[in-house]
Amino acid sequence: MRRNLYILLICAVAVCVGGIQLSWAQTTGGVLIKGRVTDKAGPLVGATVIEQDKDNRTIIGVATDIDGNFALHISDVTHKLVVSLISYETQSLTIGPKRTFEVFMKPNSRDLNEVIVKARPQVNNGSGLLIDDRDRTTSTLTLNAKDVEELQATTIDQAIQGRLPGVDIVSNSGDPGAGMSIKIRGTATINGATNPLIVLDGVPFETTVPSDFNFSTADNNQYADLLSIAPSDIKDISILKDAAATAVWGSRAANGVLIINTKRGVKGAPTISYTFKGTSTEQPGSIPLLNGDQYTTLIPEMVMNVNGLPLNMFNVKEFQFDPQDLYYYNNYTQNTDWIKAISRTGSVYDNNLSLSGGGDKARYFASVGYNTQTGTTIGTGLQRLNTRLNLDYIVSDRIRFTTYVAYAHSNTLYNYSASANGTGNGNVRGVAAIRAPNSSIYAYNEYGILTPNYFTPASDVQGQYPGTYNPVALANTALNEAVNDRITPHFSLQYNIVKGILNATGDVVFDISNGRQHRFLPQQATGRPFTETTVNQTSVSDYDSYNVSTKANLVYTPDLGDKNSFSGLVSLQSNDSKSVTQGQRSSNTASDELQDPLSPGRSNVAGALLSSTTQARSVSALINGQYKFLDRYIVNVALRGDGSSRFGSNKRYGLFPAISGRWRASGEPFMKKFSKWMDDLSFRGGYGVSGSAPRSDYLFFGKYSPSDNTYAGAPTVYPSNIQLDNLRWETLQGIDAGFNLIMFNNRLNIDFGVYRNRTKDLFSTVNLAAYNGFSSVLINAGTLDNQGYELNIISTPIRTKNIVVDFAFNIANNVNALRSVNPNYPVQSGNTNTNGSYLGLLQINNPLGSFYGYRYKGVYKDADATIARGASGNKLISPDGTPVQMRFNYPAVDYKFQPGDAMYEDVNHDGNINFQDVVYLGNSNPKFTGGFGPSITWHGNFKLQAFFNFRTGGQIVNGTEMSTTSMYGFNNQSTAVLRRWRRPGDVTDIPRALYRSGYNWLGSDRYVENGTYLRFRSITARYNFNRALAAKLKTKNLSVYFTAENLLTFTNYTGQDPEVAVRGEGINQMAIDNSTTPPLKQFTLGLSATF
Amino acid sequence: MRKIATILLLILVSAGNYSCNKYLDLKPNDGIIRDIFWQSKEQLQAATLGCYNAMEDVPSGKTPAELFFVWGELRADMISPGLGMGAEELSFVNYNILSTNTFADWRNIYRVINICNTVIDFGPNVKNIDATLSTAELNGYLAEALTVRAMMYFYLVRTFGDVPMKIKATATDADITNIAKTPKADVLKQIVADLKLAEGYAVETYNNNTFDKGRVTKYTVYAVEADVYLWLDDYANCIAAADKIINSNKFALVPGNSAWFNTVFGNGNSVEGIFELQFDQQILNPYYAMFTTSKRRYIAANNVLSDIYTIDPQKAENIDIRGIDAAVRPSDQSIYKYLGLSDDVARTQDGSYAHWIFYRYADILLLKAEACINSGRGQDALDIISQIRQRGHALSFSEESPLPDDVAGLTDYLVKERAREFAYEGKRWYDLLRNAKRNNYARMDILREAVLNSVPPSVQQSALNKLKDPNSHYLPIFYTEIQNDPLLIQNPFYK
Repeated sequence: MRRNLYILLICAVAVCVGGIQLSWAQTTGGVLIKGRVTDKAGPLVGATVIEQDKDNRTIIGVATDIDGNFALHISDVTHKLVVSLISYETQSLTIGPKRTFEVFMKPNSRDLNEVIVKARPQVNNGSGLLIDDRDRTTSTLTLNAKDVEELQATTIDQAIQGRLPGVDIVSNSGDPGAGMSIKIRGTATINGATNPLIVLDGVPFETTVPSDFNFSTADNNQYADLLSIAPSDIKDISILKDAAATAVWGSRAANGVLIINTKRGVKGAPTISYTFKGTSTEQPGSIPLLNGDQYTTLIPEMVMNVNGLPLNMFNVKEFQFDPQDLYYYNNYTQNTDWIKAISRTGSVYDNNLSLSGGGDKARYFASVGYNTQTGTTIGTGLQRLNTRLNLDYIVSDRIRFTTYVAYAHSNTLYNYSASANGTGNGNVRGVAAIRAPNSSIYAYNEYGILTPNYFTPASDVQGQYPGTYNPVALANTALNEAVNDRITPHFSLQYNIVKGILNATGDVVFDISNGRQHRFLPQQATGRPFTETTVNQTSVSDYDSYNVSTKANLVYTPDLGDKNSFSGLVSLQSNDSKSVTQGQRSSNTASDELQDPLSPGRSNVAGALLSSTTQARSVSALINGQYKFLDRYIVNVALRGDGSSRFGSNKRYGLFPAISGRWRASGEPFMKKFSKWMDDLSFRGGYGVSGSAPRSDYLFFGKYSPSDNTYAGAPTVYPSNIQLDNLRWETLQGIDAGFNLIMFNNRLNIDFGVYRNRTKDLFSTVNLAAYNGFSSVLINAGTLDNQGYELNIISTPIRTKNIVVDFAFNIANNVNALRSVNPNYPVQSGNTNTNGSYLGLLQINNPLGSFYGYRYKGVYKDADATIARGASGNKLISPDGTPVQMRFNYPAVDYKFQPGDAMYEDVNHDGNINFQDVVYLGNSNPKFTGGFGPSITWHGNFKLQAFFNFRTGGQIVNGTEMSTTSMYGFNNQSTAVLRRWRRPGDVTDIPRALYRSGYNWLGSDRYVENGTYLRFRSITARYNFNRALAAKLKTKNLSVYFTAENLLTFTNYTGQDPEVAVRGEGINQMAIDNSTTPPLKQFTLGLSATF
Repeated sequence: MRKIATILLLILVSAGNYSCNKYLDLKPNDGIIRDIFWQSKEQLQAATLGCYNAMEDVPSGKTPAELFFVWGELRADMISPGLGMGAEELSFVNYNILSTNTFADWRNIYRVINICNTVIDFGPNVKNIDATLSTAELNGYLAEALTVRAMMYFYLVRTFGDVPMKIKATATDADITNIAKTPKADVLKQIVADLKLAEGYAVETYNNNTFDKGRVTKYTVYAVEADVYLWLDDYANCIAAADKIINSNKFALVPGNSAWFNTVFGNGNSVEGIFELQFDQQILNPYYAMFTTSKRRYIAANNVLSDIYTIDPQKAENIDIRGIDAAVRPSDQSIYKYLGLSDDVARTQDGSYAHWIFYRYADILLLKAEACINSGRGQDALDIISQIRQRGHALSFSEESPLPDDVAGLTDYLVKERAREFAYEGKRWYDLLRNAKRNNYARMDILREAVLNSVPPSVQQSALNKLKDPNSHYLPIFYTEIQNDPLLIQNPFYK
């Protein structure tokens, strides 16, 4: 068995380095050695007997037979004979002239007892240079597997949310497979790419998806999908935040680096671990919406308010209520709760089995995981199978092979919508929130009898697909399935050129991902006639991406005595990623059951065939050295050169230096007197530059693309982009300083850091004046600063025999400011003359995300209130003696405010609400973000852990309130509109309903709210069975736990979720909350066992 | 051991030696890059046809084909709002247009212009590479680009007044500049110069009827010239240009029989057509959704059939063939010109590829008539109008008999006849404005009457007031343009 395993391993290793001949295979000739292996009970079967050279390299090996006998031809009698068997002490024998051996094996006592090893953890900044944790010169944070385990996290980004200062993770939605956006230390760049570089097992992990995959833009969801590493396979996650650390990773690291290491086997008997997590997810109550009766009262009133003419019921039979007309009467007099109709309780089941162990030569970690989820929206779900095999083979003291092979298969079900992942315009949840509540889910026929068919009129007063449709029908019948297979083999070879001094490693990582998305939109979901191409439209798209990264490292660690130490690194890296996308689309297949594009149907639809190929390459070289003197003075210098295929030949290369240092003050002689209570005090500082290449390929080529269609039967091409000759690297210059203080025998650990990250030549897509023929172009827009500080405290206030209380707290503050801007860059966005729009202004030295609008003063209660008043409150009178009515935007619009209209503050008292009355309303940047939580351990086996996260400051535009109280169209509204103004004298805060007219929802402070919140993120209770009990259950370790997430949010914010990602284009961004439901509540029951 | 070391060393050395530049040189597959484009006449033709295609197909925003209709009809008096009409279009009808109105966004017109500029800038170089490209062929392509560009600027100058004028291609980011508006007189000068150049370059025929109607020929250039000269009140040149088409004897009015609608509009590319934007099964026009669904955006104004075409109260079947089931389908007041295959067969959505007719022979005749009215040839004008009326079976109720020297009467008659002939062909507003602004707005009453007919009473007074300022006859510059270019100044009425 063991021999087979060895052979298997060696084969795997041999394959990965193809062509390397292993000399131990030469068995003929040499000296024959025989012997027998026994213990006190008798002969031992299966003991390994090997010949080893002076570097402990295996030359030849055999296993003993059933009588404990062995025989082998050795090549050199100066070598050693090594006999080993698990649970026995390994014996190393010199051969010399001896030809027969009687080996008596002693049981290995160490394997049976617990061994406590105390060592300083070494951290790897990902580049290959191992540095003592306490000697780090940079700002790094590490999260261990234990921290992550209890969380019901299906992806890593969920696991680290809120746990690390300066790392702001905001969820995009609670649906299965949905991702989060990760930001490290604010927005360093504004071209949309704020996600950090992920380094998995020492090599960058690319997560690009072809932008035209499935006919739409890839987004964070795919980002999360691709990061399909099972959380239980993770050993640790580190985050590099400052520029000196990220400079090592160069161009892709400007947004920070997330280093993830997976578990590897350790020497010992096989350990089997099993974890199970079962979660129930619940969609919390959404904003209360009008029911059918309230809605049907509102709509005719809204239309009539416009010009006094009633709604024409002959055309709009939805509100006719003619009991004679059974079809309309029954189908449009319901009280349907559409949100409830598409919601359900979701569930997540996660099973993970892993096996790890190994001997002197080979170590393994293998795992298989199966995750299945059903979402809280009908029709959404996820199934994923992960497998991983991490192997270490130690050929000798000088050569070691490591392979990591991971494979994941996932199958995600999304709702059907315009964007591939079921979100965006016209998504099911969005439509359910606006769908007329008086319409029925299932259709009544013209005799008034309920049928089992979905009620999907081709169009109604609200419009037609994709603006509105029957969301229940769509969620149940439409198909949107993404299947992804990803395999990432990673081969690594380590070779000690000079033992202990010069070490070389080579890594090759392949990342092969195949995805297929199949979408089908049946007629019964939209009700549209068969002449239209949306009916029975089916599309399939595939993408294959192929990515190879290589890394060659040479590490030099000379022995300079006790006082000095140095380690140096030369690293060469390359990356080549290529993706191919192709897809087909057809419509009007003959039946709802014919869901494949190869079914005969109409094939001349837009985008019937699609294919594209993109490729990007980068190369880089890094020199990095760290020098330490007297354990007190440490300096680290790095220089990195990058080359990217995304620039033209004149701008292709960039050179990025970094320097950082650390001074361990506690080691100084004059600090000795504090050493009783101070364990460690050190200061660090650094400066580093890193560069970013643009996200898109081929920008420096002017491209002529063929159109989708011909003109008059002949092919046409058009210039499809502007050739970017002047685009430069975006560079991030970071300055960073901080200190670490460890006191009271490690019971209080304080880490404080301040930083300033200056992004120069910021990439930004600017809108161009249209006469240039293109609407936007990517330019180097200006300089942006992010500065702030972070504090992380880990403490153990109580540590007794029975109870240990830990408390962790982190807080971060980030302020951004624009330092300069390209003169071509528009400094203004938005418009205050139209409903729903805020004005955004860019001002040098001011933060991004500031917005401006009117001040909302309530509602004009009657005609008298609409008379304009001067500064002293007196009515304004026109020269002919009549009072002046308040107007909007005179003279361009000149709308006279009517009773019931929204009242805005006339700041300059001129009787005219216009741009002169626009004031500063707020800024979207939070002031502080952070988290804290206690953890209480009782008698060593019961543990209670809670975690809170918070954000303070930052104004949010409550977009949901705006759209659910605007009363501007036929969308359903929130129950807040029940207190709308209806007749003169009504005093209320909600204006009258006005169909597509008026100025009742201009961008004003009515919708601006403070985004401060404190969220009770999670609580976990874990019970570890004590060893005796666990042993009775035939396990080594056994624990069960219960976790509840998102139980409570304390906030004054009236919207659904104050945790809003900043949206918007370029520099002009603001936080707008359009969510209709708060984050999902999750309850998890988990079990983990080790055998 | 040594072998492994050697291999490692080899890897390192080869990585170092590998020419990075070559490794990093990657070219796109989904298009041809500029360095290797402009090499053959086939590429030149494809690029030239891209100018037309850009009027039908855009990456985002409204297509020029839609804007031609909206700009030409919405502020005039033959349209009423349908249920699906949005607030922005409604504000066109109500003369309440703001700079935030997306129908005032000209970006896709300038996109066409840039594609034309690209052909004009890079096209001539093809001849140095592809020896099979003759000078005449090259000139033909240049004429197409010049003419389409002139037409686009002509639309812009009639719609916005002064506009920024860029006649150099934007190919690299070094070409991006901020420019100020050019006075409309100078833009018109450039248009005339381009057309003069194109006149000499353009081909007479492509020996292919679809190309002859769908691409620029010499006659297209003359047609645009006639229109531009008339806008400039240069009557002699207008008549000269029109006569070149009339005397070529290549065009004629399609007889006004039962096949008339199907020939001219249903199938298109008739003997009457001079320049028609070709839609086909591959590229459907935007008009189906605008006119036909239950939430259609536009319907015909109430009085179109009764007042413009008139009705025979005695004999219902005696109709002006251009009205009922040609311009308007009376059953639901829908605008039928783009929806019908013939007077009784409507198109389906997937068959919605009626052409957008820029110029047809009847237009040339009536342009000439208008020039004649204003240059003392009233009788010639009356003859032409009568020719058009006879073909259209115009009813006697719509007949007028102004004296040949009654310029005002003739003008009124002609404007009404143009309304009948070109209903919903995107010409009405420009007809009204051209005739109103002549002789320093001597006929402002033409616009006033249109407002009285079409603007709802609640906002009629403010519309009339706005109309008094001629600056209000031009649209505002879309607000993002002002934000994106500090040199652009909002049009005077909208500041």
